[in-house]
Amino acid sequence: MATPAAAAHAAHEHHEPQSFWRKYVFSLDHKVIGIQYTVTALAVGAIGLVLSWLMRLQLGFPGAVGAVNPTNYYQFMTYHGLIMVVYLQTAILLGGFGNYLIPLMIGARDMAYPTLNMLSYWTYLLSVILLLAGYFVPGGPSGGSWVLYPPQSITAGTPGSGLGITLLLASIAVFVVSATMGGLNYITTVLQMRTRGMTLMRMPLTVWGVFISAVVALLSFPPLFVAGVMLLFDHLLGTSFFIPTVNVLGTVLPHEGGSPLLFQHLFWFFGHPEVYVVILPAMGIISDVMATHARKPIFGYKAMIVSMAAIGVISFIVWAHHMFASGMNPFFGYIFAATTLVVAIPSAMKTYNWLLTLWKGSIRFTTPMLFTIGFVSTFVIGGLTGLFLGNVAVDLPLHDTYFVVGHFHLVMGVSAILAMFAGIYHWFPKVTGRMMNETLGKIHFFVTFLGAYLVFFPMFLMGFQGIPRRYFSFDLVAFAPSGLDAVNAMVTVAALAVGAAQLVFVANIVWSAVRGREADANPWQANTLEWQTPQIRPGHGNWGPKLPEVYRWPYDYSVPGAARDFIPQNEPEVAVVSPAAGPEPEGAGR
Amino acid sequence: MHGHADHVDHSEHQAHLPVGVYLRVWFMLFILSAVSYFVDYFQVEPLPLRWVLIVLLALIKAALIMNYFMHLGSERLSLVYTILLPPVLILALAAIVIAEGSYISMIRALFGG
Amino acid sequence: MTEHQQAAVAGGRRSAWREIVADFSRDVRTYPFGWSKAMMWIFILSDLFVFGGFLAAYAGARMAATQPWPDRGHVFSLTIGGAEVPLLLIAIMTFILISSSGTVALSVAASHERNRSKTAALLGLTLVLGACFLGMQAYEWTHLIHEGFLPSSNPAGASQFGATFFMITGFHGTHVVIGLIFLARVLLRVLRGYYDRIGTWEQVEVAGLYWHFVDLVWVFIFAFIYLI
Repeated sequence: MATPAAAAHAAHEHHEPQSFWRKYVFSLDHKVIGIQYTVTALAVGAIGLVLSWLMRLQLGFPGAVGAVNPTNYYQFMTYHGLIMVVYLQTAILLGGFGNYLIPLMIGARDMAYPTLNMLSYWTYLLSVILLLAGYFVPGGPSGGSWVLYPPQSITAGTPGSGLGITLLLASIAVFVVSATMGGLNYITTVLQMRTRGMTLMRMPLTVWGVFISAVVALLSFPPLFVAGVMLLFDHLLGTSFFIPTVNVLGTVLPHEGGSPLLFQHLFWFFGHPEVYVVILPAMGIISDVMATHARKPIFGYKAMIVSMAAIGVISFIVWAHHMFASGMNPFFGYIFAATTLVVAIPSAMKTYNWLLTLWKGSIRFTTPMLFTIGFVSTFVIGGLTGLFLGNVAVDLPLHDTYFVVGHFHLVMGVSAILAMFAGIYHWFPKVTGRMMNETLGKIHFFVTFLGAYLVFFPMFLMGFQGIPRRYFSFDLVAFAPSGLDAVNAMVTVAALAVGAAQLVFVANIVWSAVRGREADANPWQANTLEWQTPQIRPGHGNWGPKLPEVYRWPYDYSVPGAARDFIPQNEPEVAVVSPAAGPEPEGAGR
Repeated sequence: MHGHADHVDHSEHQAHLPVGVYLRVWFMLFILSAVSYFVDYFQVEPLPLRWVLIVLLALIKAALIMNYFMHLGSERLSLVYTILLPPVLILALAAIVIAEGSYISMIRALFGG
Repeated sequence: MTEHQQAAVAGGRRSAWREIVADFSRDVRTYPFGWSKAMMWIFILSDLFVFGGFLAAYAGARMAATQPWPDRGHVFSLTIGGAEVPLLLIAIMTFILISSSGTVALSVAASHERNRSKTAALLGLTLVLGACFLGMQAYEWTHLIHEGFLPSSNPAGASQFGATFFMITGFHGTHVVIGLIFLARVLLRVLRGYYDRIGTWEQVEVAGLYWHFVDLVWVFIFAFIYLI
């Protein structure tokens, strides 16, 4: 799973495990585990991407791909949603970036409990295998949509309502176990294993983002586990938690008295915080990459932390805004609309802080920086359309339309993916010791970014026209406006172009890992600790014989009077700042 | 097992409770469990009072276990709040789910099903 | 370092706000103990959400059920000498689990004194009590299944009763099994003098925390599933 370059140039130390299997497969090293997570998640994500192409081809050019029929369209939709949200984004942002960066950024030798960390990856892999196994069982994978609402997800007539849904629920339960093991490690490591001088308020925002996200994950995944177990009971043991008296295909099922809304509450108690589990590490990565490439301290460091924590807390009390159209107690709409609109405040704080970080910075338009700026744009558009949906009266007509598809794809799909790309381009030199190709990177960025807007912006207009989501075909729909076919075809072409751009990205990764320009120790001239390791690609234990000591916050960029425009966290004050320097900038020496 | 020198330098200083305290807490837990058992045995009326008593007794027992057996009372307040504040969120879920359940049974009573 | 001095001063006064701020503004570690105890506390918090979710779902399912909820006093009664005693077995199980929690607490206290034989004896007693609890739960399950109580249906009323009962007590029983394995491992290590060799007995306390948590959950299961 490790990159070939890493295998060729691995640093040798005495206490390092020597066999290939212990070193690269069943490794306890957080860096190897992080790369394993990243590679696995990207591979699964590629499957999710291909599924989205198949759906888009059907919508844009109905019948063009003969293999797509209503049954596997719903299976594609289910798997596309689950793969992208859970098995790609959650896994890569927490498991990949979290594992690789937390110990390096806080100056630890490894995670608190490396064995548990390794188990976390292998259970994640097991959950991926269980998920994909759905395609190889009789009846095929589940087509119950990624939200898995009962009764429809487990009753006959839905694709994969036999073994398919069993495997899917098992996979989700295993994923929760994996995320719990990972999350315990991230939280404990951040709280208990920082290096000398590394107070919580000197941690880079990436670590803060992953930390808060891990806390949110640890508290929000349990209800998903509960809902999954209960649905599995309904499916396998004939219990009636979620199934009321219901007539399916002419037969009355033996269930009685269950409550489908109960599942929706449990699911969305997970589902909404899950959005922030994905977006909080993304926000952290964006903040760090932006400060580094704009050569400016992040604006409002404390406000960033406070707003991330506030988002984390509020995310737990907004879940029923996904259920305005479900027939729940109408009074809840009043409560949850209010709490939902409150989330806009910390989100807006963050956006202003990013814009003010860019303000008058000496911005280097490198590939990671382009992705970062793209993130801010898609996050704003996606977030503002979320305010529409947070109001009950506006949500009801828009809820089952493409407006919702456009909204969540921009705010959590595209935004988090752009942050992921920013992170990969930014830390690739750390992982492989080589720079990624900038030209290919810029092609990748512009096609992905502009393509994403071409794909998702028309969906807002389609939503206002009342075009329903989840439809396999609009051929027989009388209310579809005449231009719909043309718009759908355009969206499909744009989606295929965005997909093709990802091939450029993969080619760039492979080519750069082998042939890329050799990176020096600190290619972006960043302050954070991970660039200050003794070797460019740190070996086992990260820091050699002595742990680094931290003297300052991670955003001392362009400090007036300093010899260079950046002061790494582990540089003592006296070595750099001349006594005749101008006024101390806010935050310096903290 | 792990390369870092993570030796425990504080934990030996924490408050040690005398054995008598454990035995007294143990005894209290017995009594409280017995009381809640008999609250149910004698079917204390009215029903809401019985439920309030049972929940109250359970909460007192939980507090005793956490405070004395798990030593949460002698831990730093940073840990105490880390453990005690977040469960409010799951109580919010429980409250909404219960309210939803009563709404559903009301709808069912009105419209059948 | 001034921060450490501030932390020490604040700790001495035990002013709530200062103590919390001091802990969260320290470097190296936030809580004054090793990572394993911190990890166990955080795991307990997360597991609390699992059981909280189960109990919340139980409440929701019970509120929405269309059939009357069974009378637990009758369902869980034992007949002794011709008289029906409600919830007798459950009361005994509760006493046993509370007792095992007490023995673990004493065992942890003995481990603070690094008393190997006393720690081991009390851990062994806990294992016996835990195994008794499991055996009685197995008896209770088979007894109920013989009377026709299944997850899908039961003769006493709403089917959701059997479903939640088997699911929640089963999940708790799984925790008991894991706790027994954990305690047995710690017991072996105590007997072999492992904790003296590595210089910290914190592992005993960590296992104790987990076992107390299992007991804590039972308090609520006893109250909500059996009594209310």
